[in-house]
Amino acid sequence: MKNTNKIKSTSELKKIIKKQKERSKSDDKTKLIVSAGTCGQARGSMEVIDSLNKTIKKEKLEDTVQVKVTGCHGFCEAEPNIILQPHDIFYQHVQPEDAEAIIKETAVNNKILDRLLFTDPASGEKPKSEENISFYKKQKRLVLGDNVKIEPTEINDYLSIGGYGSLAKVLDTFSPEDVIEIVKSSQIRGRGGAGFPTGVKWGFTRKAKGDDKYIICNADEGDPGAYMDRSLMEGNPHRVLEGMIIGAYAIGAHEGYIYIREEYPLALNNIKLAINEAKKRGLIGKNILGSGFDLEINISKGAGAFVCGEETALIASIEGKVGEPRQRPPFPAVEGLFRKPTNINNVETWANISLIIDKGPEWYSQIGTKKSKGTKIFSLVGKINNTGLVEVPMGITLREIIFDIGGGIPGGKKFKAVQTGGPSGGCLPAEKLDLPIDYESLTQAGSIMGSGGMIVMDENTCMVDIAKYFLNFLRDESCGKCLSCREGVQRMWEIVNKITEGKGEEGDIELLEELAQAVKDASLCGLGQTAANPVLSTLRYFREEYEEHIRKKKCPALVCKEIVSAPCQYTCPIDQEASVYIALTARGEFKKAVDIIRKENPLPTVLGRVCHHPCESNCRAGEIGEPIAIRSIKRFLTDWAIENDYKPSSETKPHKKDYKVAVIGAGPAGLTAGYYLNQKGVQVTIFESLPVPGGMLAVGIPEHRLPKDKLDFDIQNILNSGITLKTNTALGKDFSIQDLFDKGFNAVYIATGAHKPMKMGIQGENKQGVYQGVKILRLANLGEELPLGEKVGIVGGGNAAIDSARVAVRDKNTKKVYILYRRTRKEMPAYEDEIESALEEGIDIQYLVLPKKVLSKNGKVTGVECIKMKLGDLDESGRRRPIPIEGSEFTIELDTLISAISEQPDTSYLTPDDNIKTTKWDSLIVDENTFSTDQKGVFAGGDAVTGPSTVVEAMSMGKKAAQSIFHYLEGKTYSPEYKISRPSMYVEPVELTEEEIEEAKRPEMPKLSVKKRHKNFKEVDLGFNEETVIKEARRCLRCELETEDGKKAIGGEND
Amino acid sequence: MNVETDKVKSFIIKYNHKKSALIGILQEIQAEYNYLPKKALIFVSRELNIPLIDIIGVATFYSAFSLEPKGDHIIKVCLGTACHVRGGPKILDEFQKKLGIEPGHTTKDMQFSLDTVACLGCCAIGPVVVVDNDYHAQTSIRKVDSIINKHKKKENKNEKHK
Repeated sequence: MKNTNKIKSTSELKKIIKKQKERSKSDDKTKLIVSAGTCGQARGSMEVIDSLNKTIKKEKLEDTVQVKVTGCHGFCEAEPNIILQPHDIFYQHVQPEDAEAIIKETAVNNKILDRLLFTDPASGEKPKSEENISFYKKQKRLVLGDNVKIEPTEINDYLSIGGYGSLAKVLDTFSPEDVIEIVKSSQIRGRGGAGFPTGVKWGFTRKAKGDDKYIICNADEGDPGAYMDRSLMEGNPHRVLEGMIIGAYAIGAHEGYIYIREEYPLALNNIKLAINEAKKRGLIGKNILGSGFDLEINISKGAGAFVCGEETALIASIEGKVGEPRQRPPFPAVEGLFRKPTNINNVETWANISLIIDKGPEWYSQIGTKKSKGTKIFSLVGKINNTGLVEVPMGITLREIIFDIGGGIPGGKKFKAVQTGGPSGGCLPAEKLDLPIDYESLTQAGSIMGSGGMIVMDENTCMVDIAKYFLNFLRDESCGKCLSCREGVQRMWEIVNKITEGKGEEGDIELLEELAQAVKDASLCGLGQTAANPVLSTLRYFREEYEEHIRKKKCPALVCKEIVSAPCQYTCPIDQEASVYIALTARGEFKKAVDIIRKENPLPTVLGRVCHHPCESNCRAGEIGEPIAIRSIKRFLTDWAIENDYKPSSETKPHKKDYKVAVIGAGPAGLTAGYYLNQKGVQVTIFESLPVPGGMLAVGIPEHRLPKDKLDFDIQNILNSGITLKTNTALGKDFSIQDLFDKGFNAVYIATGAHKPMKMGIQGENKQGVYQGVKILRLANLGEELPLGEKVGIVGGGNAAIDSARVAVRDKNTKKVYILYRRTRKEMPAYEDEIESALEEGIDIQYLVLPKKVLSKNGKVTGVECIKMKLGDLDESGRRRPIPIEGSEFTIELDTLISAISEQPDTSYLTPDDNIKTTKWDSLIVDENTFSTDQKGVFAGGDAVTGPSTVVEAMSMGKKAAQSIFHYLEGKTYSPEYKISRPSMYVEPVELTEEEIEEAKRPEMPKLSVKKRHKNFKEVDLGFNEETVIKEARRCLRCELETEDGKKAIGGEND
Repeated sequence: MNVETDKVKSFIIKYNHKKSALIGILQEIQAEYNYLPKKALIFVSRELNIPLIDIIGVATFYSAFSLEPKGDHIIKVCLGTACHVRGGPKILDEFQKKLGIEPGHTTKDMQFSLDTVACLGCCAIGPVVVVDNDYHAQTSIRKVDSIINKHKKKENKNEKHK
């Protein structure tokens, strides 16, 4: 039977605690401990509990199995989660339908359900128990750890873990002054943010004159992103109460308030229950435990005002007034609630008190750093794998929290910043990851500890947008008392907002800094004094991001929607208005769609097949499902144009000007530059060393990906507009740069590409049977015989390696084709669908393998000796570094080895007289804005400048170079013009039915069957049909209509 | 809406006519009527002897109070930092689009009010949307329709029961 009598003395309390401890010890039921805080409930833990209870009843296991409903276990990512005791098993993401298996198999038969175990995102391991999960390993859960052990609504559970024992100890042995000394010597500091020493604060209030004193528990956890106080009040409310009772005794207060946010209904409920229970048992009220000490604790519910976290505003709010802060001094310790001495502490501080009393201040002060003692609970949220509440000793580094406990950033994205301290805090960049965290170090780094919110941000977070977010929050929450805060924050928001809309001007940053200082200096309370921190810290660490927004009208994280408009267009190096041609396609207006494509793209048929499509990688539809198949839509349109004989105008451009430009190299950069120069009326001659135009498009990409007739269609269209092409004419062999000027060319554009293969640098590389990937691809594309044997190995993991392998597999001689790659498939730079096709075609891709030596007999290749690799730490590229496994050498038998690691430009054609500088990788050095070399009139671009890059990047450079060269010809200085991204027209959106939205998904590209691909170069991807393409185009989210311009153009939708 | 002074009076009695309990009393009224009816405020002013202007001051200072009637269902979109970086603003945009109202407003049929909230403290499962007391975890713009429909449907069912 439940004992609900008042406990009359400390000795009786101690007996009860002992009894409860024994009860708990002797209880040998299997416990299913379900995490049911607010997050757990939002994820369905109540349904799980219900289902577990039903199963227990059905199986008649009430006497041996019991469900315990506890507060949050901290590991929010794994909600709803269950801990089985005494089995010590941690199950995550439990669903109601799992109940039967959990009870019948695990609880009764000790069988572990593999599918419910947590999988470590880094190692892939599946630890069985909580303590072996990386999330828990580095934590020190002194305060939060008890959540798992007790039902928060059961005071006896709290007693069974020794709860209220510290109160008994205090009343038995310590005077109020002793308690204050203990708390002082533990050196605990306030967990609410400012970090004032708790014992010292208590001492002030104790010494203050007057008999009526108050204590307050600040549970107005207003910092967005922090919820440890909620978790404590939900999961262990008696612990907070015990701390308050001890505090009130030490201070001499007889009335206490808990000021709690109304946004926390479950915490409110549990703390109310706890107060009632404690009252019943004589732990709160008159003559507590017969000690003669009285204390009442009331609840005051907040009404949604962030500023009420500030102590004087909070006091005003409890008094029923508008929550405006007031001048300090007098401090609340002297004149607080109802003008009486008042001590305010935060929930987490109160929750630490019983621990300090129980274990002693010496023990407590050993944990942490010199000036910051104990543990701190952080809420680790945002772009992080293991979200949750983590309790760690002070002094742990950010890296340990984010990567070891938090498991790093989801989706292989890069860490960008971590925001600590809420709206008063700041954002810390990657270079601060090794910072040991305590109150001082965080302040020095430009942030604060605050209440412990830790919001992790990845590369997709815009720091200017974050600053705007906090300013917006603060301008809403400013109480309005001080002009500096009320108006200053508003003006700062206006400036930052303007920057995020692409309307920033030079001087804005300086003005922000000036305003920030004024707001800081002239505001009364903490809110105003720290309001500028989010701006100042982002300016300190991410100033260049502000500058990019202001000067280049770019938002690198693609967040600011007025700048970005549609990400497909925004990220396209050649400014293709993808959202527009998709919208036209959705309406079946193919001709108009083709016109839109051709406007910015002279090689559309090519790009519809081989573009690396940054548009798709950044498509917003991909955030909620799969990106729109933009490239395939383009392919359909360009093929439609060919089939319907819809050619671009072949009218030769009249040469309005007497300008002559020589373009060297007929690859994508040269062709594009030539095309746009010609459009401006310039006479263009393109010199090409190979027998065919197209550069890598013609000799680097195999026909099964890019059929010759499709490439020729685009190239002919370019040439037809009046460009002269000279093939088999090589710079350095057939002519020099000076020759061109002598012949009357006014400017030269070098776009000779990167065709020189890099060496593997291993023994035996020069043996017969070792070839370069570029050479094999060139021979294949020119229709020549390939020197391949039966067993071919390709070294590399990029597109050239996959292309070489797929060419090899098509050769009449080959029987077996390997790819040897030193990392895993996840790190492979080749396109995912290419890897997939290679596997379909029977290519054997060996991952984590590094060739060490070419084996040979009589000078001919017989095989390759390899070593196995494993993945180590992250390198600069964000990929995990491969490390050889000692002694794991093995041999693969081969007769042909193809090296396809990488290429570099071959600039052996340069002479000292050319006055053109190169990098140590032999790429040409040009001015980043004008693409001009050091030699007057000579420009360069494409892979010859960047090293191996993509087709569309090369075209982009060609397009920009055409602008710059034309300015040069006109005798004008060129500086690129930066504008926000906008489409040239707004197409009326199509209406979708609900069913269509439900069913819409990205179609698969139809492919030639593997059988039909055998030993031939027929195009593998077959393209969409009209029906599919329209359906897919209708799925587009039409991001460009979300801007103010877009809304205006389409006008009054939904009204 | 008819404001029963008895009801309001009972709240005042519950708090012993304490002036300092003003916020608590207003919270009870807000919970009862979904907003603060003018009549109720005048009544509280008289009973507690607090000038009406001070009561309006408090009522407009705290975001929990509304002087306008709210809809049957209150949709709160969390815009805390964690929800913000995970796409909360896009969810809000979608609700605005679908309901045709700005935050702080109510649909013409009085079915839904749309509000934002600074943080619900469920940061791990963001972006979070709470409709009345029903938490929706890890929402996306795709889920917006079904969230609205779920509560619309409930309404229909209830009507059938009636």
